[in-house]
Amino acid sequence: MSQWLEQVIDNAQNVSDFLSPARDAALSELKLQGWPGRRTESWRFTPLSSVEKRVVVENKDVTTASAPVIENLEVIDIVFSNGQLITDTASLALPKGVSICQFKDADADQQAAISSLYGKVKPQKHTFGLVNDALAENGVFIDVAAGASIEPVMRISNLSSQPCDAHTRLIVRLGDGARATVMEFGEGSCESLTTAFAEYSIGYKAHLEHYRFAMFTGKAKQVGGSHFKLSELASLNSTLVGYGSELSRLDVDIWHAGEFANAKMNAIYLLAENELFDLHSCIEHAVPNGTTEENARGIIGDGAKAVFNGRIHIHRDAQKTLAELNNRNLLLSRRGIINTKPELEIYADDVKCAHGATVAEIDDTALYYLLTRGISRSRALVMLNFGFVQELVAQIPKTAIADWLLPKLSKRFAEMEVK
Amino acid sequence: MSEQIDQALARKYDAGFYSEIESETFESGLDESVIRRISEMKGEPEWMLEWRLKAYHAWLKMEEPEWAHVTYPKVDFQAISYYSAPKSMQDKPKSLDEVDPELLRTYEKLGIPLHEQEMLAGVAVDAVFDSVSVVTTYREKLEEAGVIFCPISEAVHKHPELVKKYIGSVVPRTDNFYAALNSAVFTDGSFVYIPKGVRCPMELSTYFRINEQNTGQFERTLIVAEEGSYVSYLEGCTAPQRDENQLHAAVVELVALDDAQIKYSTVQNWYPGDEEGKGGIYNFVTKRGICHTNAKISWTQVETGSAVTWKYPSCVLKGDNSVGEFYSVALTRGRQQADTGTKMIHLGKNTRSTIISKGISAGKSNNAYRGLVQMGPRADGARNFTECDSLLIGDQCGAHTFPYIESRNPTAIVEHEATTSKVSDEQLFLCQQRGLDTEKAVSMIVNGFCKEVFKELPMEFAVEAGKLLEISLEGSVG
Amino acid sequence: MLKISNLHANVEDKAIIKGLNLAVNPGEVHAIMGPNGAGKSTLGYVLSGRDGYEVSGGEVTMNGKDLLDMDVEVRAREGLFLAFQYPVEIPGVSNMEFMKESVNAIREERGESPLTAAEFLKKAKEACKQVQLPLDFLKRGVNEGFSGGEKKRNEIMQMILLEPSLCILDESDSGLDVDALQVVADGVNSQRDGKRSFIVVTHYQRLLDYIKPDFVHILADGKIVKSGDASLALEVEKSGYAFLGKQYEEAEA
Repeated sequence: MSQWLEQVIDNAQNVSDFLSPARDAALSELKLQGWPGRRTESWRFTPLSSVEKRVVVENKDVTTASAPVIENLEVIDIVFSNGQLITDTASLALPKGVSICQFKDADADQQAAISSLYGKVKPQKHTFGLVNDALAENGVFIDVAAGASIEPVMRISNLSSQPCDAHTRLIVRLGDGARATVMEFGEGSCESLTTAFAEYSIGYKAHLEHYRFAMFTGKAKQVGGSHFKLSELASLNSTLVGYGSELSRLDVDIWHAGEFANAKMNAIYLLAENELFDLHSCIEHAVPNGTTEENARGIIGDGAKAVFNGRIHIHRDAQKTLAELNNRNLLLSRRGIINTKPELEIYADDVKCAHGATVAEIDDTALYYLLTRGISRSRALVMLNFGFVQELVAQIPKTAIADWLLPKLSKRFAEMEVK
Repeated sequence: MSEQIDQALARKYDAGFYSEIESETFESGLDESVIRRISEMKGEPEWMLEWRLKAYHAWLKMEEPEWAHVTYPKVDFQAISYYSAPKSMQDKPKSLDEVDPELLRTYEKLGIPLHEQEMLAGVAVDAVFDSVSVVTTYREKLEEAGVIFCPISEAVHKHPELVKKYIGSVVPRTDNFYAALNSAVFTDGSFVYIPKGVRCPMELSTYFRINEQNTGQFERTLIVAEEGSYVSYLEGCTAPQRDENQLHAAVVELVALDDAQIKYSTVQNWYPGDEEGKGGIYNFVTKRGICHTNAKISWTQVETGSAVTWKYPSCVLKGDNSVGEFYSVALTRGRQQADTGTKMIHLGKNTRSTIISKGISAGKSNNAYRGLVQMGPRADGARNFTECDSLLIGDQCGAHTFPYIESRNPTAIVEHEATTSKVSDEQLFLCQQRGLDTEKAVSMIVNGFCKEVFKELPMEFAVEAGKLLEISLEGSVG
Repeated sequence: MLKISNLHANVEDKAIIKGLNLAVNPGEVHAIMGPNGAGKSTLGYVLSGRDGYEVSGGEVTMNGKDLLDMDVEVRAREGLFLAFQYPVEIPGVSNMEFMKESVNAIREERGESPLTAAEFLKKAKEACKQVQLPLDFLKRGVNEGFSGGEKKRNEIMQMILLEPSLCILDESDSGLDVDALQVVADGVNSQRDGKRSFIVVTHYQRLLDYIKPDFVHILADGKIVKSGDASLALEVEKSGYAFLGKQYEEAEA
């Protein structure tokens, strides 16, 4: 067992609230599972040695911080600074049809709603997810009423500026026919270990537009997850962006629980220096007639390492499923590493499933075309490299977000090129 | 409709008979003394025994791999007999005339006549029966060309320098649990040596037969192709129909020196167990080849048998410009489970690999492709192309794909594609409308699905594979 | 301007160009016609320096310099422009970004200062208008989701922006209806200034009604087998490539 995990389990004894039954269950599961070693398939390529012997850093300071401004975008901001919620959720000006509360302030109905989702959407196998279950006192619940259509983007930011261990949680419920946009944003580079997990329940015919920008760098260690349960005819459009840091891991689970649901997910990762980014996605088609399209693209420079595991699991009854997953990677340096594993596990015959993965494939014809226009080989390679990430940015539904993101990615990419 | 297809798939296992042959079989169980006895039976030199014992002690400390997508009751390694040989073989028959006619009949029944005049011209056969090699044909003719083709137990005596140099050089003793077990207890197998610049004048083939009850077969094959040489080698296997599971844990090592080419084809038809999953062979095999500069190794496999298959024929592309290929058809039905694929380890510059895997799942079977493509930091300009297609027949089976891709070289290119499909009602309807019955239609569609792989098989084997698939698909559609 | 002497070129070890001679002076328009498989497209690829098109003999000079010795992009900067028969799609790279990069690379070669974003935009808009492409084309990925005609017009727009000295048009008429053909031809004609030279590669005489050539050459089996003025094209139109011999007659049938 890891020293850090033992300490975490000890600390969890002090947490007590309406979620205690779920927290206790998580703790016993944690004890049962123990520390994931190198033989644990889900951590095979992402060593946890830097966490294993870590000493928990308690930090309850309240530090002001704010998330970056995105021009031309209406945002409702909720900010965790070093794990502490610094937004007064009670005083937020909210449009009709949405309520936001922190776990501490939840009334009986809200408590019941939170409890019904807490640890229920997320699969119970992820060590850090269980740690988060046990420890995340600082949680936020967003409840979008049936039929409501919420225009502003609800952004939940995790900003870390001081050494700390911090665990935050988000629970989102979209009622039948509701429409909303939620962005999970994270940033920080200091020596810290944060876990941030979010569980989403998307109701009948509801639509969620989702963003998760995990822009942690440097010494920040971040392990997080976004987990979605789709009801009948629900739809999800998710865009993920990952930078790399000492340890950056993101798990995304999309669970088709109702028929005729549709999920689209695009992921982009840009890694430099000695950064690590690990994206594990799992699409569970538990019922018939679901569709999923997933595109993950990454550029790995310097001595960085990217790990991608994309699983599509078609259950026995999930006939007429359409699922496609595509992962493309560009390795820019001889010191970089990419480990990718697209997986299919299929138990139904009348389905259309495909996956593909490529590494370092520049289209010769496209390169030739650019060269015939007088562009130098090195510039042409940059344009083509970045072009393949840009293609996903262009698919972001909100132009304001795309316009804000692109220069950021472009700058990061340019820096990678120089080194 | 799927029921109809399933019926069409119901197979007869033609090789399921048992031959009444008096055998000397060890008591079941494994310890150091058993290994010493095996070594003694074979009259092995001391170094070979030591090598076995080292493997055995390493094996004791190893754990059975559990990561494959298969489930089966733990193998009781003490319940297996590690040596069984026909009594008649003890006197080492000098020629075919001295071989027990019942043994020869066994092979004849399997469609492999061992009398040279009756054989397919151009194919030399080494027939391995339980733990010993019965006969190796065409040896003189091969010797003229300088080619050595003999049982490995004989090679240990006659060509110790070659065996010593290459055994364990590709699959180390401690490579994995089953390879270590095999290294400790291997009983026979084929040894092939092709001298520099020689193109082996005929196809070489080994036919493995498990006959005795409660025995495991642990054969070891070693093929060394010297610079600029070429060999095509074929392997076939069958076993009687029994209610108990039997273990087959083989090791195959291929060494392709500079500019050499080895083509290794397998038609695996071990007894797969019955419809309910009773009996059948556990086929846990380690196959690997190493390619030096400009060398090429090509694995082609047609896997229709075994209850559980755990097998990843691999290529270590060590030399610059070397080429690795893997073409596979795996058909599972009933309760069969297969976890098979390949590893392509690109170390040298401009190395190339191609993986074409076709999985067909029917009945209540599970069929998984598991592969690794690794591009090392020095593998400049290396390329891999992988295509994994699964065909599902019926809604009670599973088809899975687990490709591991690792690249450490910015100039290397890896492309992986996987798709799944079913035999569609439209396809069937079209065939039927054109006058074909369901059985023929399914067989045709499946054959079409596998075409890319079949065309890689040597002519003599392509016929056998085609027949095998037809037998597998043969049934009782009214 | 351009001088090709006894050019031989192979594709995958197969000889395609087999001793081709051609001289193009400033301001001239040369049409190259010929049956399928004569090596028409290969000529454009060889001149622009595409990988896999291997020159096995002969010389090509442009403005007195050895063209074959230059990299693809250097040839472009020297003023050689190839309008592709099948323009390439590059998803994710916008036309705007692509052309700005290209224009400035070529300006740099000529010792001119790079255009600012505003200057470039102005030029690009004008060019867009000239070939009748809507302005939002500039923002879209290079040729991504364009129709065949739009792709061809995009090639001409690029030509207008890059101001090359030698333009090779590879079957710029294929797949175009009459209106689109007119747009392409107008674009080309607008660039005829007495100094700029053109090699117009086409299978049909039709394009030459719109772009009047000074010379017409018939390319067959990797060589120019017949040269003449515009009337040669009309002759081909009337009686096909039969005069080349039986094999072409059949090929065209």
